[in-house]
Amino acid sequence: MKKIILITALMVGSLFAQVDKPMEVPYIPYKIKMGEGFDTLQANCLMCHSFGYIINQGPQPRLFWDKKVDKMITHFKAPITKEDKKIVVDYLFHNYGNGKLK
Amino acid sequence: MQRREFFKTSIVASAAILGTNLSAGTTHQPKIGQTLSKMAFPEKRPMITYSDRPPLLEAPRSVFTRGITENDEFYVRWHLPDIPTYIDLDSYTIKINGLVEKDLNITLKELKNDYEQVEVVAAMQCGGNSRSAFTPITGGIQWGSGAMGCAKWKGVRLSDLLNKAGLKKNAHWIGFNGLEKAAYFKTPNFVRELELTELDDHVIVAYQMNGEDLPYLNGFPIRLVLPGYYSDSWVKMLSDITVTDKYKSLFFMDKAYRIADNKTEGETPDHLASKTKPITHMDVKSVIGYPEENMKIYHNSEVVVRGVAFDDGHGIDKVMVSTDEGKTWDEAILKQENGRYAFTEFRFGYKPTKYGTLKFMAKAINRLGVEQRFAKDIPWNRGGYKYNGIDVITVEVV
Repeated sequence: MKKIILITALMVGSLFAQVDKPMEVPYIPYKIKMGEGFDTLQANCLMCHSFGYIINQGPQPRLFWDKKVDKMITHFKAPITKEDKKIVVDYLFHNYGNGKLK
Repeated sequence: MQRREFFKTSIVASAAILGTNLSAGTTHQPKIGQTLSKMAFPEKRPMITYSDRPPLLEAPRSVFTRGITENDEFYVRWHLPDIPTYIDLDSYTIKINGLVEKDLNITLKELKNDYEQVEVVAAMQCGGNSRSAFTPITGGIQWGSGAMGCAKWKGVRLSDLLNKAGLKKNAHWIGFNGLEKAAYFKTPNFVRELELTELDDHVIVAYQMNGEDLPYLNGFPIRLVLPGYYSDSWVKMLSDITVTDKYKSLFFMDKAYRIADNKTEGETPDHLASKTKPITHMDVKSVIGYPEENMKIYHNSEVVVRGVAFDDGHGIDKVMVSTDEGKTWDEAILKQENGRYAFTEFRFGYKPTKYGTLKFMAKAINRLGVEQRFAKDIPWNRGGYKYNGIDVITVEVV
């Protein structure tokens, strides 16, 4: 079994980088549902991540969304106020909930 | 009479409520056949795209007919929103400090010239790959089966770098940090910590992938390569290696990428395990790359089923394929040219003789004799990690 193969050839430093100018990560306009609380969601969540990150979690119970927002506040230090948290969780559960509280 | 009816209904109703509340959590085939984005990311072909910031890109299944995954089809998973979009190679260094005899500041040029250059072909997989197999849906991106790939990595042994720096006697933990940054100053960095005992000679600091620079989105210019381990610790744009005597409590170590610390690594939504552990080594797994789901196949034609299998480096012994819902299994032909950490390619020729629905199932068995189980037998876990069920592809024979 071959483990790690020792490279015997001399290193030839590549003169050309594959990318030698700043690259641009494209913006994708994820189709997120409009509704009550959307502005608050946009103001609080989009700072760190795309809407894709939200909608690709799948439909979730209210407690899930509540805990997710808590995680953003507690662990990721997102400055989301108590009032805004409630609006955001309501929005997420209403638009991306599975109908169950927990 | 009416009252009795009422009681009957309420008993049924409460049973129904109990039924849903005490659901054990089920496991099934992960999502399949997601569409590719119309937009290609830098140095990538269009991929299944879950998020642009941070970028989360999944490879389509068709990629997994080959033992090596092309750089432009290799999956992408970042944690924090701010990824450097340009690296100045003249000033880029890896810093090694902490409990070492002398701090090092290694440039890319030094890395390529002053150390022994080594290569390893290794599969890499996100701990949450195939997360969409779990119900109730667990937190995290609902990946199909494409948050994995296998490349030939070239770089320098981590142990050579640590030897050069000289580990102090009480060195025990090593922390790895890369250049991705959060939007807020107070957000924890994506630092991984590993015990020195976990780091063998196969762990490398890699600057090349399949003979090319790493794509930016895969961690250009340098990433940690930990053959056999889930990729949460394969730190991208590696910038800092810090040696300590004690484990430092960190969010991404203490809260993320953990699984129930019990024999089955399972739990139920209502009874979450009280103790958890990091996900570390990859379980034996196989994925069918061809044919694709819902494909039409001609009656009496020769189909060659192709896929890849891998584990944590014990190596794949056999891949078995079933065409009768798992009642009987036949051995597939293997191609293993890249060592025990790499994808093993498998292929299996089959001539369908009956019209209608046909299921191909693939089950890998590693050299320890550990084999994949049916999806339904894999216990649910809250993070949706480590899914490795027998893969199933359904086609129609016409």
